[in-house]
Amino acid sequence: MAERIACLWCPAWPVIALRARDPTLCDVPVAVVERGERGLVVIAASTEAVAEGVTPGLRRREAEARCPGLAVAEADPQVEARAFERAARAVETFTPRFVLEEPGRLTFPTRGPSRYFGGDTAMAVRCLDAVRDIGITDARVGVADGGFAAMLAARAAEPGAAYVVPPGESSGFLAPWPVAVLEDPEPGEAAELADLLVRLGLRTLGAFAALPDGAVLGRFGSAGARAHRLARGDDEATASPALPPPELIETAELDPPAVHVETAAFAAKALAEQLMARLGTLGLACTRVMIEAETERGERLTRCWRHEGALTPAALAARVRWQLEGWLTAEVGDDGSVDDLATSGLVLLRLVPDEVLPATGRQLGFWGGDPAAADRAGRVLARVQGMLGHPAVVTAVPQGGRTPGERVRWVPWGDPREPARLLDAVPAPGANVREAPPWPGAIPAPAPARVFEPPPPADLLDAAGEVVTVSGRGDPSAPPARLRCAALPGRGGEIAAWAGPWAHDARWWDRRARTRRAYWQVLVAAPDGERVACLVAVTAGHAALEAVYD
Amino acid sequence: MVLAGERVLAVPGPLGALLPGGAVQRGTVVAVDGDPGAGATSVALQLAAAATAAGEWAAAIELDASLGGLAAGEAGVELDRFAVVRRVPPARWAAVVAALLDGVSVVLAEVPAYARVGDARRLLARARERGAVLVAMGPWPAEAALRLRAGGSVWRGLDAGAGALAERDQRVHVDGRGAAARGIALVEAG
Repeated sequence: MAERIACLWCPAWPVIALRARDPTLCDVPVAVVERGERGLVVIAASTEAVAEGVTPGLRRREAEARCPGLAVAEADPQVEARAFERAARAVETFTPRFVLEEPGRLTFPTRGPSRYFGGDTAMAVRCLDAVRDIGITDARVGVADGGFAAMLAARAAEPGAAYVVPPGESSGFLAPWPVAVLEDPEPGEAAELADLLVRLGLRTLGAFAALPDGAVLGRFGSAGARAHRLARGDDEATASPALPPPELIETAELDPPAVHVETAAFAAKALAEQLMARLGTLGLACTRVMIEAETERGERLTRCWRHEGALTPAALAARVRWQLEGWLTAEVGDDGSVDDLATSGLVLLRLVPDEVLPATGRQLGFWGGDPAAADRAGRVLARVQGMLGHPAVVTAVPQGGRTPGERVRWVPWGDPREPARLLDAVPAPGANVREAPPWPGAIPAPAPARVFEPPPPADLLDAAGEVVTVSGRGDPSAPPARLRCAALPGRGGEIAAWAGPWAHDARWWDRRARTRRAYWQVLVAAPDGERVACLVAVTAGHAALEAVYD
Repeated sequence: MVLAGERVLAVPGPLGALLPGGAVQRGTVVAVDGDPGAGATSVALQLAAAATAAGEWAAAIELDASLGGLAAGEAGVELDRFAVVRRVPPARWAAVVAALLDGVSVVLAEVPAYARVGDARRLLARARERGAVLVAMGPWPAEAALRLRAGGSVWRGLDAGAGALAERDQRVHVDGRGAAARGIALVEAG
């Protein structure tokens, strides 16, 4: 059976954090927005705003239309995490084993504290009192078997109260919830899954849980199977995470000691990437990580962060940063006392993977190579796209065609890498695509390293200085003897050797789109004795430098 | 801590045989130069191929859009790990190169004629910091650990009106610390 878990949840935490920082917002309706795929979308709203119909998921403009006078602020996870550090310290007074799930939500196993305080309900009340003492009035506690059920129990609780699901009754408690709640622990993939389940007529967790395991795994994959276990009340935490080997602990000594968040966060970022790279090579993913720090005075600070699914290097770095904000930024309390946990600079930073699982869904094996390298490259390429626009960054996809330019399709980074034309003119059964025979009439390998688009104009001349033309039947008027082109060193020169013409009659079935073109491979003697291999196209008597074999 | 073997990128094939230790140092600039048609692009593509063969990523930055994708594939570059940034505006060139050095092992960058020494030095420092190889194609105005100059290659397979371009003896002049003076590497075969 899943472990008894308590979940402390502060609804609309971004709003509470914002108001704690800026007390002038306490009397006005507030909405916190985040930039998503649909633009600025509300992620949390104050009770006054909710009363006016401002709900999470609404676009900013619509939220402002529904509630005039609404104060809108962008989400700042760092501020939220720093503010939540106070709640974490309050909980720490009666249990050390809590795990931060996100700013505004933490969980802890109830076994020890409940026995000490005399039952889950008494413990939950005690927990609520502790956070109320530091000024958080709207906190809720849910206690159930497993973290997922506990999270929903907290959601079912009245403001400032606790909701305890008796042991063994979690699956019954979960059954009536709509499948959309699966999105919450793990947005993205799970949102698609929830959407699909609704369309299949499975509207509640109970209906989804009733499906047989094997069928769910076969149809929805490992992510679906995980959601199915959650829906049934078998929490993931019971799937015996492997104990991480001690050599996975990443440590960085900070010299000079870091007193500013920026300095420490910079070291932490590299540390997070190293840890993820090491885990990646072992085929492991990390779901829970301990962030430890030591100060100059020998104080040891520890916090445990958890992430549904698996932590990515960026997600881990963000959490470490939030935590450092909480430790290194002094909070001035209501009574004017300075509440600063780290009384001096940090000298040591340590990341301990606390719960590792075999990496199933996240490996970027599709790209081949090192998944950490793919992650890094993907990030910088996306950044360059941000600077220059989506189509500026491309990758080459070989496709069918006759000329070097036709045989490559440039696909913007992030779009599906699919050829527009078949590689083979006639697909051979069982043929390896890389060794597919080229289209008939294709220019033979090797391929030129420079292909010009548009091709610069050139003059292909015979020995008498006349322009070389190619007849409709593909016969040249004379052998080429000289190529002139401004793009070549020395503006071209004598032709030492040549091959062709390859006559291409493209789209002969369409009178308007039809183009007749002849290709020549020529070896031009440059003035300094260099031989330059070129591909020249002749269209309607006009030559152009199509490509250079650089 | 990095092992000595991880600080270099092994370059396979005949080009590697010309390089000191058969490899290029990570965190350095390799300047590749040559007249159009002399083979500088092919040499640069082999350095990109060395990165993708090691499971890493390579990228190219172009001022126009003329790099042959097919030639890259023939040079041994894994095309799904090779991104090309095309038609980079002059004002953004240094910023784009710097961004790519952050996350890609080998960056082939066409150097514009207007590149400033200051920009080049900054990129050199960025490459050193990130352990990436910057392959500067064109007139690199700053220091480089290795300078490769393509020139004087011999093509075979093409006659007067017969045959087709088949292979070439690519001549590459290597200049730099611990480098052999010059050599011939056969880099293309039909």
